[in-house]
Amino acid sequence: MDPSGIFFTSHGSDRALVRTRPQAAALALLIAALALAPLVLSERWIALGYAMFIAMIAVIGLQICTGYAGQVNLGQSAFMGVGAYGCAWLLHFPQMPVVLALVLGGVAAAIFGALFGLTAARIKGFYLALTTIAAQAIFYFLVLNLPGEWLGGAGGLHLDNLQLMGFSLGNDRSIYWLTLAALMIMTTGAFGIIRSRHGRSFEAVRDDDVAAGMMGINVAAAKARAFLVAAFYAGIAGGLWAIALRHVSVEQFTLFNSIWMIAMMIVGGLGSIVGALIGTILIQLAREGVVSLGPQLVDLIPSAGQDIVFASMNVLLGTVIVLFLLFEPKGVMHRIEISKRAYRLWPFPY
Amino acid sequence: MMDFLNYAINGLLLGQVYALLALGFVVIYRASKVFNFAQGELMLLGAYTVWSLSLGANLPPWLAIPVAFVAALAYGWLIERLFFSRLVGESVFSMVMVTIGLVILIRGVVLVIWGAADRQFPALLPTMPVIVGEVILPTSMLIGAGITLALTLSLWYFFNRTRAGLALTAVAEDPCTAISLGIAVKRAVTLAWMLGACIATIGAVILLNGRSLNVLSADVALAALPVALLAGLESIGGLMLAGAIVGIIQSLVAAYIDPKLGGSASSIVPFVFMLFILVVRPTGLFGWRNIERV
Repeated sequence: MDPSGIFFTSHGSDRALVRTRPQAAALALLIAALALAPLVLSERWIALGYAMFIAMIAVIGLQICTGYAGQVNLGQSAFMGVGAYGCAWLLHFPQMPVVLALVLGGVAAAIFGALFGLTAARIKGFYLALTTIAAQAIFYFLVLNLPGEWLGGAGGLHLDNLQLMGFSLGNDRSIYWLTLAALMIMTTGAFGIIRSRHGRSFEAVRDDDVAAGMMGINVAAAKARAFLVAAFYAGIAGGLWAIALRHVSVEQFTLFNSIWMIAMMIVGGLGSIVGALIGTILIQLAREGVVSLGPQLVDLIPSAGQDIVFASMNVLLGTVIVLFLLFEPKGVMHRIEISKRAYRLWPFPY
Repeated sequence: MMDFLNYAINGLLLGQVYALLALGFVVIYRASKVFNFAQGELMLLGAYTVWSLSLGANLPPWLAIPVAFVAALAYGWLIERLFFSRLVGESVFSMVMVTIGLVILIRGVVLVIWGAADRQFPALLPTMPVIVGEVILPTSMLIGAGITLALTLSLWYFFNRTRAGLALTAVAEDPCTAISLGIAVKRAVTLAWMLGACIATIGAVILLNGRSLNVLSADVALAALPVALLAGLESIGGLMLAGAIVGIIQSLVAAYIDPKLGGSASSIVPFVFMLFILVVRPTGLFGWRNIERV
C-alpha cells in the first residue's frame, strides 16, 4: 500500500518494483552500505555475511517452490549439493571460468530438481514432498558411489587459486562481494519470476490446483517448473558455497539442512521474497549468537556443561519455529506489513 | 539356493520391521491426513526412554518396556495437546509444517537430556539366532515380525470395525463435519498420536536391539517410507505385504548387486522403488482413490 498522494499514470510505473524516489534512495543506500561493509567489518562478520547471502539465495528458491507454488520441498539441500559438486567439478577439471561454472552448476541442479518435479504429473499433495526425500538419498548415493576420480567420493573435492576477472577469490572480502552480487541478481530475478505469468500460475496452483487446472493452467508443468526454479537457486547457492569454502563434501548437504531452510522461510513468512531474506538473517543471527554466547553461558552456569547449553539453544530455536507456525503462520513479514500500514494511517485506525 | 533362501527370508523379516515403523506413519495419517515427518524423532524419544529405564534406572526388561510404553503414550498426548489441538480445522499444510518443526525441536530435546554421544542400546530381546535347517533367523526380527502381525490385525480391526476407529477416519476426512456430528475430534487426534508414539517405541526396541543409538538413528524411520507408500498411506492390512516386497528386494540387492558395484546400492533401492511406485500408481497397492472437487 502506498502513502496517499502517490498516483501512477502508466501501467509500467504501477508494476515497477521500485515505485517512488524515497524507495529508490533507500535501496541505493542499503546496497552501498552492504557493499562497503567489508571495509570496516572484522573477518568474522564478513564470513557470516557471505554465509547469509548464500543461504538467502537457497531460501529464495525454496520460497518460490513452497511459499508461492505450495509444494513442500525437502530436497533443497540435496539440490544445493548437486550445484556445489557441478560447479566444483567444472572448476577443477575443465578449468572453466568461475561465472560459467556457477551458472552451469545451477543448470545441473535445476535438471536434477526438475526430474523430481516431473513426478508431479502423477502425484498430488504431500506425496511430492516425499519424492524430494528420495532426492536426498539418491544424491548421497551418487556422490559416494561414483568412481572416486570423478567426484572425490567421501573425501570431497578441493578448489584452489580461483580467479574472477583478474581478482583472486582467495580472501573473504572478494567472496563477500561475489556472493552479494549474486544475491542481488537472484533476488531481482525472483521478483521477476513471481510477477510473471509463471508466478501467477504458481499462486493459482497453491491456492487450489483443481480450480487452477480448470482455468487452463497446466498444473503438473507448473509444479515441475516450481521445482526447476527452486533447484536452480539452490544450485547457484551450492556453487557459491563450494567457491567460498574451496571444498565440497557430502556431509555439508544433509536433510537436516533442508529442514533449517524451511524454518528460515517460515520465520520470515510464507509467500514473500523479502520474508525469505529476513527469515534467513534472523535464524542465522540466532545460530551465530548460540555459537558466540554459548561459552559465556557455560561460564555463568558451570554445572550445565557445554553440550547442554548448545543443545538447549537448539530446543529454543525449535520452539520458536513451532510457535511461529502456531501463532504467526504468516511470519515476521506479516507483522512488518501491519506496522507499516499502521504508521502510514496514523492517527486513523483504517 | 540355500543362500538365496536365507537372504530372502531375512529380507522378509526386515521388511516386517519396516512395516511396523510404517504403521506409525499410517495411524497418524488415518486420523488427520497429516504425514508425520517427525516419526523418526518419536522413535528416538522412545529409544532413549527405554535406554534410561533399563540401563540408567536398572529396571528389568519386563518392567522397563511397559513403563516406556506409558511414557510414549504421554509423549504422544503432550505433542497433541501442545501443538495439534490448536490446529484443528487448519490446513493440512500447516500441520505438516509443524511436524517438520518438531523434527528440530525433538532432536534438540534429546540432545539436551541425553547428549550427543553414542550409546549402546540394551539387548532386551535375545540376540542368539534361531537356526531352522540351514536358514539362520535373528530372534529379535522374528519376534518383531510376530508383533507386526499382531499389531496389524488389531489395528485393522480397530480402524475398520470399531466405532472409535471409524470416528478417526471421519475426523481425517473433514474435522468440521466430524465435530458437527458429535465426534470428539481432539480426543480422536490425541488417540492417534498416542498410538503413533507407542508404535515408534516398539519399533525402536526391535530394530535397535543391542545396537548403538545416537541422534542419527532417527533416519531409520525414513527407510520405512517406501513401505508405507507402496501399501498406500491409508492401508493397514497392506503394510505387511508391502514390507515383504521392499524387504526382500533390498536384501537381495544387498546380497547380489552390492558386491559387484562395491557400494551400498541396497540403501537407495527402496527410494528408487518408491519413486517408481509413486509414478506408476500414486495411491499405492491398497490406498484409497479420491475424487477431487473444487
